[in-house]
Amino acid sequence: MNKNLHDRAEKLIAQERVEGISQSERDWLAAHLRECPVCTQVAQQTTAALRALRGLPVPLPPGLAERTQFRVQLRAQEMREREPKRRLLWIMCVMSWALGIATAPYVWRAFEWAGERLGVPRLVWEMGFGLWWTIPALIAAAVVLMENLRLTNENDQSD
Amino acid sequence: MADDNKALAQGLKLRDSYLLDQLIEQYQYRLFRYLLYLTSSRERAEDFFQETWIRVLERGHQYDGKYKFEAWLFRIARNLVIDWQRQKKVQSLDALTDPEEGAPMEFAALNQASPLHLVLTAEEKTGVHASLDRIPTVYREVLVLRFQEDLGLEEIAGVLAAPLSTVKSRLYRGLEALRGAMQGGAA
Repeated sequence: MNKNLHDRAEKLIAQERVEGISQSERDWLAAHLRECPVCTQVAQQTTAALRALRGLPVPLPPGLAERTQFRVQLRAQEMREREPKRRLLWIMCVMSWALGIATAPYVWRAFEWAGERLGVPRLVWEMGFGLWWTIPALIAAAVVLMENLRLTNENDQSD
Repeated sequence: MADDNKALAQGLKLRDSYLLDQLIEQYQYRLFRYLLYLTSSRERAEDFFQETWIRVLERGHQYDGKYKFEAWLFRIARNLVIDWQRQKKVQSLDALTDPEEGAPMEFAALNQASPLHLVLTAEEKTGVHASLDRIPTVYREVLVLRFQEDLGLEEIAGVLAAPLSTVKSRLYRGLEALRGAMQGGAA
């Protein structure tokens, strides 16, 4: 028999399992297998290999689900406890920014006045004003960073 | 099915603890089996199993219900294993790429005696377990996802974050390797 026919049959045997074949290809393969013991053996080996793979038992560690459920519950509780704190932090940040914007002209004048009274160069009190504006964001960033660091440390310890 | 997935997505978004308990029960066997074939270590598979569910809790809002839950679950598990590999720097970042593309192919640490060998009991070291042991992890993984987990080709591509053509190519090679390995084992 032509080698190309065997190659085609072997390809179709695999293709049928992996992505499926058309009806005409299935018919051709069935006809070929009726006449070709070599390809029939390949088909049988493939079927046997997949059947064995599907039926392969993997013993589960005892109590795996229970232990995991317990850990997940703990983590969920931790997350629930942290949520209000984080929400409060964001509310404070937003309020701080809103107040900052509303009071900016007054604070600018206050910095200007204080700068003149103390004889501080204009650039310095302007930088001071800029710093005052970034303070809420810096505090929020520091809190978030510290929290993330704490989380990482906790995870490392639990590992 | 789509409605079930949407309901599941909604529950995960709300971090429904009852739902999570149910999911852990329901998918414990499949997830553990997948992780075992990926890591070749029962202890590591168990650690990753727990970490995967913690991630599901933390990132449940990212599951949109468009795809099967198990595909999303396996992807999380796989990413955890890859992250761990990166941290350990045991292997290159592309540990699960095709051997023909030149990258290392086993997930298990290089200094281990044999990948799946260590988790097998004496009786299991024959037959299909032993045959799987002889197959590169990249092929073993797709075989498990396709023929044990019954995932579709596109779903496997989603889990692997690889093109469909790569998935098909690995499946064909994997199938050939499995058949060859089983014949070798039987001989």
